[in-house]
Formats: sequence, structure tokens, C-alpha cells
Amino acid sequence: MSRQIIPYAFIAPAMLLLLAFGVLPIAVALLVSLTDLDLAGLGDWAGAGYVGLDNYRSLLADSAFWQAMANTGVYTVLGVPAVVVTSLAVALLLNRSEGRFFRALRAFYFVPAVTAIVAVSLVWGYLYNTQFGLLNHLLGVAGLPPVRWLTDPALVKPSVAVVAVWRGTALNIIIFLAALKAIPREYLEAAALDGASELRRITSIVLPLLRFAIVFVTVTTVIAWLQIFDEPYVLTKGGPLGASTSVSLFLYQQGFSSGRFGYAGAGTLVLFLVIAAVTLLQVRARRLDAS
Amino acid sequence: MSRLRTVLIAVMSLVVLTACSGAGDGSSRELTVWIMGDSSDRFQELVEPFSARTRIRVETVAVPWDSIDQKFTTAVASGKGPDVLQIGLSKLRAYTRSGALLDLAGPTLKGHPGLAARGFVDRTALSGGHASSVPWSSDTRVLFYRSDILAAAGITEPPRTWEQVRADAKVLTARDGGGYGFFIPQWDSALPVIMTWSMGGDIVDAHRRIDFGDPAFRRAVDLYTGLYADGSVPADGDFDQVQGFVSGATPMLVSGPYLAGAISEAAPELAGRWAVAPIPGDVTHTSLLSGSHLGVWRTGHDRDAALRLLDFLSEPRTQLAWYRLDGQLPAVRSALDEVRHAAGPQAAVYAGQLSEARPLPQVPDWDSRTGKALLDALNSIVLTGADPGTALRELSAATRGTSAS
Repeated sequence: MSRQIIPYAFIAPAMLLLLAFGVLPIAVALLVSLTDLDLAGLGDWAGAGYVGLDNYRSLLADSAFWQAMANTGVYTVLGVPAVVVTSLAVALLLNRSEGRFFRALRAFYFVPAVTAIVAVSLVWGYLYNTQFGLLNHLLGVAGLPPVRWLTDPALVKPSVAVVAVWRGTALNIIIFLAALKAIPREYLEAAALDGASELRRITSIVLPLLRFAIVFVTVTTVIAWLQIFDEPYVLTKGGPLGASTSVSLFLYQQGFSSGRFGYAGAGTLVLFLVIAAVTLLQVRARRLDAS
Repeated sequence: MSRLRTVLIAVMSLVVLTACSGAGDGSSRELTVWIMGDSSDRFQELVEPFSARTRIRVETVAVPWDSIDQKFTTAVASGKGPDVLQIGLSKLRAYTRSGALLDLAGPTLKGHPGLAARGFVDRTALSGGHASSVPWSSDTRVLFYRSDILAAAGITEPPRTWEQVRADAKVLTARDGGGYGFFIPQWDSALPVIMTWSMGGDIVDAHRRIDFGDPAFRRAVDLYTGLYADGSVPADGDFDQVQGFVSGATPMLVSGPYLAGAISEAAPELAGRWAVAPIPGDVTHTSLLSGSHLGVWRTGHDRDAALRLLDFLSEPRTQLAWYRLDGQLPAVRSALDEVRHAAGPQAAVYAGQLSEARPLPQVPDWDSRTGKALLDALNSIVLTGADPGTALRELSAATRGTSAS
């Protein structure tokens, strides 16, 4: 009997956290999304009324929501390949030596992950500033006209994505490095003895053995980018003209600035379904790939 | 990950709020007051005489302007707010509707004659059946200009009409050394409304509903977009208005008294080389009446102490002391008159402008809906070259019927 309970006891803490912070909020969002809950309703729940699927209907007719969806799509398409390729390349380079310099570099590349987002936004805001920014200063030195990095509706998404890529690579480099350390030296030495070039060793031995790490990083990165919030929030507040608003930021604005909690709840559920669908697709694709 | 973070922040704010409001029990009386921006230290100084006289301790909490909505929402959700809070005029209707504020109409204010509507510059809040706040400080917009740069370009007088603004801005943009003539903050939804008013129109129709169909509004749009078309204003949204004014890149702009403080702080050596003038206008010189109010939390634990604090804060001499400490203009009429006569030429312009100023329409949500739609329409024309006719039709469609009681 006790033997049957033990495994459950071990997973119980994680399950409780998942239920409290994962499942419960989604259930609450589902309930709220069927009401017209606003600030007044928040103080007195009797003030909120059941409105059925009205929130979903107006959400699907809201051009700002679709703009945010499209923006998020652009972010994901720009950001995920950039993060995966950059962090893999940096990890491969960092893995070439155990010297003191390389260990220092490793710490250096991890800095973005532990730097406060407010500091990050301040520094990048100054770099990007049209009037005083370093980037435009360099352009000026080269005789080029200034660029409106964060205030041109067409440029703002790539500019924001660069910051998010810079922040996103940090943790993934560490994950790749750990996976690289797990590759037995003997394989690489044997291949080298057989005369395989370095490129050949990477493509035929290292990358196949890294497959699980690559899939893991890709799946978590896609999820993170579909929920991108911090960078547009601190750099542009979603502007100009909503050109950098992600879905998460849109929901935050609807919920916390406009007090339309029912509406934001409906959007949250739509975003949740999109992420779940994309993740399922990825996992399914990997399973097909493996078999 | 960000969702988890939001939850964590919410939980932490709850813990902090609980800790704050829990401290008020016991025999000594204490009030928690939320003060916006970076004025909280000076506010603490302002209320010292009150605490000394009444033995009611006042704990001031600074709330940044751009996180007030989240803080307020969290406080409503948890039911634990401050005793007294400062409320920006544009949030007033939404916060009143939330039901979290004490209704100050009628009997509640008996015994507090200083809080009666007639003493205040802005009577909107205390007129009608519902009142959830009393005015605390006044704010308005005037024309700031660099008299030295205008004089060097041969302009001896600040512009009095918008046509002159546009012409002068062209002259200033063409001066040697580059720069612009005027500055339009892309986040300022009040400016196009001020332009409409001063051209003799309004954005609210006879039935108190938002209506962007007024010909004067159309002229304001032509002015707003014309300044961009002339190349007289910078098109980058991250242009710094203080730096632009101090460096001379944008020698004219419309802003509030707080900018005067920022300029004096950033460039004290500039004193005497800039000045303020009333809002330009073709028909009137109507500017924006903004500012902030004070509300009392409905479920606060010491209502009487909160009302006594409000009483103290609306005394003319407290209001004058606040103007001297923090530079915010009084909301009480008699104190404002005193500022106008005694505090120098700049203050006289502010006070004069306040007598010709009106608040933004009290729509349910100006900042993130009506005002945002207005800015999005105008900025889409000037930034992305959208067709003005289409943009304005979309603006009308998005805002039609919004009540502005």
C-alpha cells in the first residue's frame, strides 16, 4: 500500500504548484471570459453578468487583436530561428576550449538572462534613441541618415526582436553547452582519426546527438515567443500605432489598463489554445520524425 | 513564463498591501495616502502640521504614474486599498464606477464646509448626484517658447493664432543650423482636442456623445497633419521634449507647468531665454483643465480621519504651501487668485489660462480607448501616410456614441 503512495507523494508538490498556478488560472480565465467583469465587478462580484460568447465574438472582430496576433507571428518567425541558430553556434564555439578566457566568455553570454529587464530596456532604449542613440551616432559618423529604430512602424518589430533574441540566447547557450558536454569524446576522436573534417564531425556526430536538446530548445523558445511580453512592454509600450503590440501585451492592456477582464480572459484562452496547438504539432512532428 | 511572473507580482503586491494596511490597527490613528509621481516626500512634509495638530499619522506611498492602473486594480480585487488616494482627472470616471471610492455627495461632507464645490476651480466632480473625489491640484497647458531663438529668427511676439504657429514654425525650421519649429508629443491625446476647442469647436455633440464630425475638428486635423507635412515637427516618437527645448531643436511646444520645472532643473542657465504664453487660438484660447483629485477608499478603516485630511488639504494656505513646495497649481479658487497676483509672470500665465480651460470629456475610458483612437487616427496619417478621409471615418466609427456625461 505505502509503496503505491510513494510515487504520488513525490510528484505531489509539483502537481500542486501546476494546479495552483497553471490549471486554476486557466479555469478562472475561462469562467471570467464568459462574463463582462470590469473594475466595478472586481470589487463586487454581483456586478458582473453572464454574456455567453460575446467576448469571443467581439475579440474575433477586433482589428487590434488581429494586429497583435500578426505581430506575434512575425516575432516568432523572426525570433525562434535566430535564437536557436545563434545559441547553438555560440555554444559550439564556446565548447572549443576549457581555457580561462572561454570560461569568462561563458559567464558573459549568460549576463542577459540575469540582468533586470528594466535596466535592459533603459540601455537598449538609449542605443536605439533616434536623437541621441549610439546606433544613429555611428550611422552619422558613416555619413548615413538617422533611423527611427523604435518609432518607425515598419522597423519596430525587428528592433524589438533583436533585444528579445539577445536576451533569449543566454539560457539556451547553457542548455546546448550542457548537451555538448554529454557527447562522449571517443566518438569525435575516432572520427578525427578516420580523417573526418571538423565540419563533418559537427554535422554527422554532434548535431544528431544534440537532437533532443535542439527539439527541447525549439519547443520552449516557440512557447516563449508566442507569449512575448517584456521587450515590447518596456521598449515601446506596444507602439507606434500598435505595430509592436504582442498578444500578451494586448491582453495586459485590455485587462489592466482598460479593466475589461472578461475580454482579456477570452483573449487569454485563445492564446492558450494557439500555444497548445502549436506545441502539440511540434511534438507530433518529432514523434513522426523519430519513428 | 510571463504569465507566471504576472501571478507572482500580483501575489507579492497583495502581501505588501496587506502589510501596509495591517499596520493601521492599534490605538494611534494612521492614514495611508497614495501620491502620484515623485512628489511623495514633499507631500509628507506638507502634512506634518496636520499630523502635529490632530495626532493622525500620515503614511505616504509613492505610486508611479504608469503603474497606477495595476495598483488600483489589485487594490480593488483584494479589497485593501489606501485610505486616501490621488486620482488623475482622466481616470476619475473609471475609478468612480469601480465603486471602490466613498461617495462624497450630500450628507458625508456635512461638517466639512471647506470641501463644498463652490470653492474649487473645477466643479465637475462635485456637481450632480455622484461625487467620489475633491479637487486637489490644477494643471493646464500653455505655449512654451524660446524667446532668444524666436527673436534671432525675427519673431518678436509669441504666436497668437494657430496659423501664426504654423508660419513661425516654418521660419524656425528654415533657420541655419537645422532643427524644427514646433514639437508634437505623439502620446499627447489632449493636444488635438485643445486645437479643436481653440478653433471654436468641440468633440462632444449636443447629446453629450463623442462626435468627431465638427468642422473645427477637421481644421484641427489639418493643422496637426500640416505641421508634419511642413517638416516643422520631429517625426520620431522617442524625441525628448525637455532636451529638444533646452537644445533649441524644438523652440516651441505646448505643455504643462511641470515642464517649467524640468527645464529649470535641466538647464538653469537658460532662465530668461524662454517664456510661456496662452494657448494660441483662432476663435478662443481654451486650454485643457487637468490635474488631480483626492478620493477616499470606501472600506477604509478611519473615514473621519480621511475626511479631516481632505479638509486640511483643501485649505487655501495648504494649497499655497503645496504650490511653493511642488509647483502644482492650487485647485482652490482663492488660493489660485493669490498665485496669480503674487507669484511672478509665469504663474500669472498659468492662472490666467486656468480661467479659460476645460476638462476632457468624461468618457468611460479616455486614455486607452477614445483618446487612443484619436491619436492612432492622427498618427497613422502623419507616420504611415494613411488616407485622412479613411482614418477619420474609422475614428468616427470607433468612437461614435461614446457617452461623455
